[in-house]
Amino acid sequence: MMQDDKTLAALVLVFVPLSLVSIGGGPSVLAEMQHQAVVVHGWMTQREFADLFAISRAAPGPGALLATLIGWKAAGWLGAFVVSLAFFLPSSLVVYGVARFWNRWRGSDWHTAIEVGFAPVAAGLVFAGAFVMLQWESCGLLGWTTAVGVAACRISRPKIHPLILLGIGAVAFVIARSGE
Amino acid sequence: VDTTDENAAAGDTRSPARQSTGFVEVFLLFSRLGLSSFGGGLPAWMHRACVEQRGWLSEMEFSAALALARILPGVNVVNLAVLIGQRLRGFPGAAAAVMGVLVGPCLGVVLLAMIYGQFTGTMILDAALDGATASAIGLLIGMGFRSGGRIIRKDVISAERLRQGIGSIVVLVAMFVLVGVLRLPTVPTVLCLGPLSIALALFALRRASTEQHDDAG
Repeated sequence: MMQDDKTLAALVLVFVPLSLVSIGGGPSVLAEMQHQAVVVHGWMTQREFADLFAISRAAPGPGALLATLIGWKAAGWLGAFVVSLAFFLPSSLVVYGVARFWNRWRGSDWHTAIEVGFAPVAAGLVFAGAFVMLQWESCGLLGWTTAVGVAACRISRPKIHPLILLGIGAVAFVIARSGE
Repeated sequence: VDTTDENAAAGDTRSPARQSTGFVEVFLLFSRLGLSSFGGGLPAWMHRACVEQRGWLSEMEFSAALALARILPGVNVVNLAVLIGQRLRGFPGAAAAVMGVLVGPCLGVVLLAMIYGQFTGTMILDAALDGATASAIGLLIGMGFRSGGRIIRKDVISAERLRQGIGSIVVLVAMFVLVGVLRLPTVPTVLCLGPLSIALALFALRRASTEQHDDAG
């Protein structure tokens, strides 16, 4: 029981700060989630983390549901509930508060500067998250090739549904592995 | 004349619709949106439902909300739900929209993980999930390039903002190297580079407006 309480407290301490800096959404804190869940707290192996990542991408809803899954893996349904609150509530309260001042800022230099200034920070974090994920052990050359290929598809053909690309990746791996 | 009429009409139809919008109605709509958005693209669905189909928000309101959702901390679609809900019914509206967009998908994703857990160790399923993971990483990279590309197109190509564009690229690469390669913790890194990047943008803006002071801005 004590252990559970400690795990829940640790989950809150990890996800509340992440919620407040997750500019640009879940992908921007992916690297940190991986580090905390796998390296610092050992809630799961890198392999399990990669599985949860894929599940969160294939499921309906925001991709950031990975946070909920980390909570579930670490401490069951209660963990999932606690992390969902810890990760989604603080940022939502900030957004609610800022929404009331936003109209006053519109068109001002500050408004533009914040938008322009945060864009590269968020984009850099997305690349960092992708780079960290590509180091998982069963990724290999096939993984890198698939990732780069899907990225190229996504850039050149933005109309293709993401689920189709996930499916193609899955089929490619099944064929490659069954040939081994 | 047509455009102003159109705006006024949008405003007129919007207000009564907003007043009659109930907590349950908002919750159910956002639940449906959340659960039907396989593979991302939720903002597009929200736009269709709230602007095109119901006229709850004008195009301007929606795009302002979208920009705000992007730059504030938090998941973009959750933030967008907060902003739309807040416009509709204040705090209860925001709460209904956020819960709608999260509760169903949260339950769904855990159920999916549990089902997966029953079959783990199966060779084909492991391979399929590895492949899906690699593709999902590819989707991330694609997204990074698309938003990075937007920054470059907006700033570097317009010559007067070249300095800003180079600054943005430096921040982007620095963020990637510090967090991705050197594995520095994300929170302090954002707290250092974020304000620096905003200051840089503000400096470039002020400079641009003093250089051409008749800019309407």
